[in-house]
Amino acid sequence: MRLKLITGGIAIIGFTTLLMINFGHSISSYTTFPQAKNRGARVVGTLVKSRPTAFSVKKKQFTFYMKDKAENVRKVVYPKPEPNDFSKAKKLVVTGRMHHGVFYARQILMKCPSKYNATAKDVEAQSKD
Amino acid sequence: MIGIIGKILIDLAFASSLLAGIGYFTYSRNGNDRYFRLSSWLMGAEGLFILAAAGVLLHLLLTHQFQYYYVFDYTSRSLPLKYLISAFWGGQEGSFMLWIFFTVVVSLALMRWTRKPYRGPVLFFMSLTQVFLLSMILGIHVGGIGIGSSPFRTIAEAMPNAAFIKSNPNFVPADGQGLNALLQSPWMVIHPPVLFFGFSLMAVPFCFAMAALWRKKFNEWIEPALPWTLGANLCLLVALFLGAYWAYTTLSFGGFWAWDPVENAALVPWLLGTAGIHLMLIQKKKNSSQKASIVFSLLAYMGVIYETFLTRSGILGNSSVHSFVDLGLYNQLLVFMLVMVAICIGLFAYRYNELPKNQGGTDYLNREFITFSGAMILFLLGLVIAIGTSAPIIGRLFVAHPTPPEISFYNNWSYPLAIAAAFMTVVGQYIFWKRQKDAESLAWQLFLPLVAACIATFTIIIVAHIHRWFPMGLLFGGCFAIIGNAFIMVQLAMKKPRLIGGSFAHFGFGILLLGIMSSTLFNSQLLDSSTRNYNSAVTKGKLTDGKGHRIRQKANFVQLKLNKPRIINNEYKFIYKGYTLKNQTRAGQQQYRIEIKPLHHPGKTITMHPQVYPMSAASPGGKISWSVDSDVHTGFASDIYLYVAGSSYVQRINKEIAQQNKNRKLGKPVSDVLSPDSTTVRKISLAKGKTAKEGPFVIKLVSFSRVSGHKGLPDNTQIAVRANLQVRRRASSTSQTIHPLFAIYTKHGKNWSYSPISRLPGQGLGIHFTNINPKTGQLTFRVRGIPKHSKKSWILVVAQKKPFISLVWIGVFVIVIGFCISIFRHWDIERRKRLLKQA
Repeated sequence: MRLKLITGGIAIIGFTTLLMINFGHSISSYTTFPQAKNRGARVVGTLVKSRPTAFSVKKKQFTFYMKDKAENVRKVVYPKPEPNDFSKAKKLVVTGRMHHGVFYARQILMKCPSKYNATAKDVEAQSKD
Repeated sequence: MIGIIGKILIDLAFASSLLAGIGYFTYSRNGNDRYFRLSSWLMGAEGLFILAAAGVLLHLLLTHQFQYYYVFDYTSRSLPLKYLISAFWGGQEGSFMLWIFFTVVVSLALMRWTRKPYRGPVLFFMSLTQVFLLSMILGIHVGGIGIGSSPFRTIAEAMPNAAFIKSNPNFVPADGQGLNALLQSPWMVIHPPVLFFGFSLMAVPFCFAMAALWRKKFNEWIEPALPWTLGANLCLLVALFLGAYWAYTTLSFGGFWAWDPVENAALVPWLLGTAGIHLMLIQKKKNSSQKASIVFSLLAYMGVIYETFLTRSGILGNSSVHSFVDLGLYNQLLVFMLVMVAICIGLFAYRYNELPKNQGGTDYLNREFITFSGAMILFLLGLVIAIGTSAPIIGRLFVAHPTPPEISFYNNWSYPLAIAAAFMTVVGQYIFWKRQKDAESLAWQLFLPLVAACIATFTIIIVAHIHRWFPMGLLFGGCFAIIGNAFIMVQLAMKKPRLIGGSFAHFGFGILLLGIMSSTLFNSQLLDSSTRNYNSAVTKGKLTDGKGHRIRQKANFVQLKLNKPRIINNEYKFIYKGYTLKNQTRAGQQQYRIEIKPLHHPGKTITMHPQVYPMSAASPGGKISWSVDSDVHTGFASDIYLYVAGSSYVQRINKEIAQQNKNRKLGKPVSDVLSPDSTTVRKISLAKGKTAKEGPFVIKLVSFSRVSGHKGLPDNTQIAVRANLQVRRRASSTSQTIHPLFAIYTKHGKNWSYSPISRLPGQGLGIHFTNINPKTGQLTFRVRGIPKHSKKSWILVVAQKKPFISLVWIGVFVIVIGFCISIFRHWDIERRKRLLKQA
C-alpha cells in the first residue's frame, strides 16, 4: 500500500513537472517587431491602411504593412494569397519572424469584432444613409 | 414594447428558479412533499416563462425588429428563414437562453424519473445552475452593478453614448448586420442545440454526485445517473463531430481540428465525462471507487463551466479565432465558477471522512485497476488540453503576455496518451468480460489479437511507406484497439448482444485513431511540378528576392489558367473550366468549376465547385472582404479538399472598387471604372445566333425584332429594331442581356439614324447598334470599353489530399452507436428497478 502511494505520487509529480516544463517552452510572449527574432514569434498590431497591400502571383506572396503596439511599422510578407476577411480585420496577430527588417509570417489571425459585435460606427453609418 | 415583455418573462423565470431552489432546499431538509410539489410547479412555470421569452426573441428575429440590438447584430432582411431561426443561438445571450431552456427540460425529466432520497437535492442543484445561468441574461442594474446582458436590450440601451442615439433615441436601422457568412451553414444550425443539450445533461451527474454527498448514500446514485451521463457524452460527441465537419468543409485551414479554445471547450468536458463513466461502471460492478466517481462527476460539470468561462469572458481575446466577444460578464462568470467549485469542494471535504475507504488490493490485473487507469489516461488528456487552453491565464507564470501554445504541445502529449488509451481499451475489455486466473492466462487470451494487430501494422507500414515513429505507434494502437475489441465484441454478441455497447465504442475509438493518424500526419499538398521545384529550391536556399535576401517561405497554391490542364503530383490533371455567378445564395458569389482527372483512372472525372463570396457589400470608400467556401470530394480511400484562394475575377473587382474610390475622391463619375486610354472600341458584325469574341467578352446575337410605337423613339421614326444581345466573360457561364436600339427617322426631309448607347451594368462595356445590312442579315455594333490588355482568366487553388479521413467520421459514428447501445441497456436496468420499487 505504501509503495503504491509513493509510486503514484512520484508519477503524478513527474508527469506534472514534465507537462509544465513543456508547456512553458511551447508558449511565448506577444512581442514587437524589433524583438521578433525567434521562430514563431507573435506580434499583435493593426494594418497600416495608407500603405499598399498587394498580392503577387509571380512572387507567390502577399505583402502589407503593419504597426505593432510600440508603433513600429514593418513590411509583412505572407506566402499565401490575401486571407479571408483581411481588409475587415480590426486587429491582426501575425506569427513568424523578422529577417532583414521584413517580417515573414507563416500565420495571420484576423480579429474581426464586427462579426460578433456591431460597433457604434456600424450603426452610425446607417443612421446617416 | 415587446422587448419589455421578454425582459419581464426572463425576470419571472429567474424569480421562479430562485424560489424553486429554495423550495427544493427546504424539501431536502424536512422531506415535506408540499414543498416538492410547490417547487416543481415553480420549475414548470420557469420553463413556460423561458419558452415564452424564447418565443418573443424568435418573433423579434423573424419580424426584423432592428431596434433590438440582438436582432440588428445577428440578422438582416435577406437572411433565409432557417438562418433567421439559427441566429437565435448565434450570439451569447441567445445561446445562454437555449442552454437554460434545455436545463429546464432536463430538470422536468429528472422530476418525473428521479426517486427518493436523491430527488430533493438533485433538483435543488439543478435549480442552482439555472439561477446562475438565468442571471447571465437578466440585464438589470443593482446598485450600479450590471447583472447579465439581456437579449432584449435595444440599440439605445446598448450604446447610450453614441451621438446618433443622443440626437434620435428612437432610431431604427433599416437593416441589420446579418449573420456571419461562415455560420450560414446547415451544420451550424444544428451544432449549437446539440452542444447545449449536452451541457445541460452534464449537469445531471454533477447533481447526483452532490445529492449522494448530501444524503450520505454513496452507492445507489450510480444507476439513475449513468444513463444521463452517457447521454451527455453522446450529445457532446455528436456536437464535436458536427463542429469538426463544419470546420472541415467550410473553413480554409484545411482540417477538422485546430486545437482552438472553442473546440477544446467541448472536448475537455467530454474527456472528463467519459472518465467519469468508466469510474461509475467500476463502482456499479464492485461498490468501490466511490470517491473517484463522485470527483469525476463533479469535475465534468466544472469542466463545462470553466470552458464556458474561458470562451465567454473575453479572456481568450488574442488566442481564438472565434471566441465570443466580451459582454462584461467576466466577473459574473468568475463568480459562477468559483461558487460552484467552492460548493463542490466544501461538500466533498465535509463528507470526506464518511466516504467509504477503498480496501487496497495488491493485484494490478483486476478490472477496477485497469478501468481506473483508463479513466486516468482520459483525465490526463483532458488536463493537458485544459492547461493548453488556459495559456492566457497559466502562461502568466512564465511570460508577461502569454501566447497560446504551439500546436505541437497538444500533439506531442495527446498522441502518446491516445496510444496508451488504445492499448488500455483492449486489456480493459478482456479483463472486464473474461475470467483470468493470473497474468499468464490474460497474456494467452491477448496473444491472438496482438499477433493479428502486428501483422496488420507491419503490412500497412510496408505498403504505405511509413517511416516515422508517431504514425507507427498510432497505427499499432489503432489496429490493436480495432482487432482486440472486435474479438470481444463478437464473443459478447454471441452470448448477450445487449452488452456490446462498450466494446463497440472502443472499436470505434480504434477506427477514429487510424483516421486521425492518416488524415493529419499523411495530409499532402497537391501541387504542380513548377511549384514543387520552387519549394525545393526554397528549401535548398537557392532563391533570393530582389534585394538579394534568401527566400524562406514555400508556396502551397497552384495557378490554373482557363481550360489549360495542369499535372498535379503526377497523379491528377486539374483543369479550370470557368465560373458561374450565383447571386441567389449570397450576393456576388462565384462558383468555380474545376475538373480533376486521376491519371491512373482514365475516363474518370471529378468536378469540384469551390466558392468565393464577398463577406458583405463594400461600404463606400472601403474594400471588399472576400471569403471562401471550400469543396471536398469524399472518397473512402482519400478526400480531395480544395478552395480557390484568389482569381482574376476577384482581382478585377478589387481593382474596380479601388478605381471607384479614387474617382470618388477626385470627383469623377464613380462608374467610370476603365480609363479611356486603357480601353478600345471595336466594330463587330453578327448574324442571328452567331457569337463574337472581343477581349475578355463573348457577345451573342440571340435575336432582333422590329419595334413600333415605343416611347423612347424619336419623332417620325421610319423603322426601329431592337437587338437582343447576350454578353458574358469568357470564363463565366453567367451572361447578361442588353437590348441596344437602332432607328431611322426623318428630320428636315433627311434620314437620320438613332443609336443610343446601351451599357452593361458593372462591366464598363457600352454597345451602340449602328447598322443593319438587309442583304446579309448582319447587324453591326460598335463596342466600347474593351480592355486593351486582357489576360486570360485564372484561379489560385489550394488543394490537399487527406487519406482515410472517412475513418474519422466512421469512427465517431461507431462510438455514437456504442453509446446508444449502452444508454438503452442502463436505462432499461434503471427502469426495471423503478418499477420494482413501485410494485
